[in-house]
Amino acid sequence: MESIWPISKIRETLPQRYPFLFIDKVIEIDQAAGRVVCLKNLTQNEHFFVGHFPDNPIMPGVIMIEVMAQASIIGFAALKPEVAAKKPTYFLGKVEVKFSKPVRPGDQLFLEVQKEKMIATAGIVSASAKVDGQVVAQARITFGVKVYE
Amino acid sequence: MDNGISIDEMKREVRKIIAEIAEIPEADIKDESLFFEELGIDSMMALEIVTAIEKRYRIHLPEEQIPNIRSISKVCELLKGLLTASTQNA
Repeated sequence: MESIWPISKIRETLPQRYPFLFIDKVIEIDQAAGRVVCLKNLTQNEHFFVGHFPDNPIMPGVIMIEVMAQASIIGFAALKPEVAAKKPTYFLGKVEVKFSKPVRPGDQLFLEVQKEKMIATAGIVSASAKVDGQVVAQARITFGVKVYE
Repeated sequence: MDNGISIDEMKREVRKIIAEIAEIPEADIKDESLFFEELGIDSMMALEIVTAIEKRYRIHLPEEQIPNIRSISKVCELLKGLLTASTQNA
C-alpha cells in the first residue's frame, strides 16, 4: 500500500522524533470529507514493548492515544496546510477514549481521523484505530495549535 | 423570539453548555462574563463550546466570527443573527 505522502513530508509535518514518531504512511486524504487515514506498523523492536510487558508485548493505551493524536496532526496539516507550514506547536487538550482490543507486534494499525471542527488555532476530531478491519480503539481528541512568530 | 426560542431560554442553554464544558458552576457565568479573561476558557474549550452550540442549534458558526464569541451576550447576539438569516432563507 503506497503512502501518498513521502516520509520526508511526514517528518516535516510531525514535530516528534525517534522513538516517538509513530506515523509510517499516509494512506488517504479526503479534504472534502475532512478525513485522513494513516498507518503505523508495529514491530517487536518498539521501545515500549521492552517493559510492557517483557513476556507479553502489548501496545500501551497511552501510546495508542499518541498515535491517534499524531494522525490528527496529519489531518490538521492536510486541511489547514497554510497554518501547518508555519511549524506550529500542537497541544493535546482533551481525550475521550475507549480501548477495545490489545495491539501486539506484527499488527498494522490503521488510524482514521475525521474532522468534527477545525479552525486555525484548534481542532476536534474523531479518531479510530483499526487492526485487520476491527476497531481496537476510538477517541475524540481536542487539540490546540499555536504558531510562535 | 427566533425559531421558537426566546433570548432568555437561549442564554440559559448556552450557559449550561459552557458550564458543562468549562466545568464552571452556572451561577458563576454571567451574561457579560468574558470567557477568556474572566472564566479561564482557552481556545480548545471555546472550540468545544462552538461545536456544542452548532449541534444544538443546527447552524454553522463561521470561523471568522469565533473570536467575537467572548461572552454569553455576544454568543446569543451572533446566534440570533444566524438563526434569523436561516429562517429568512428557508
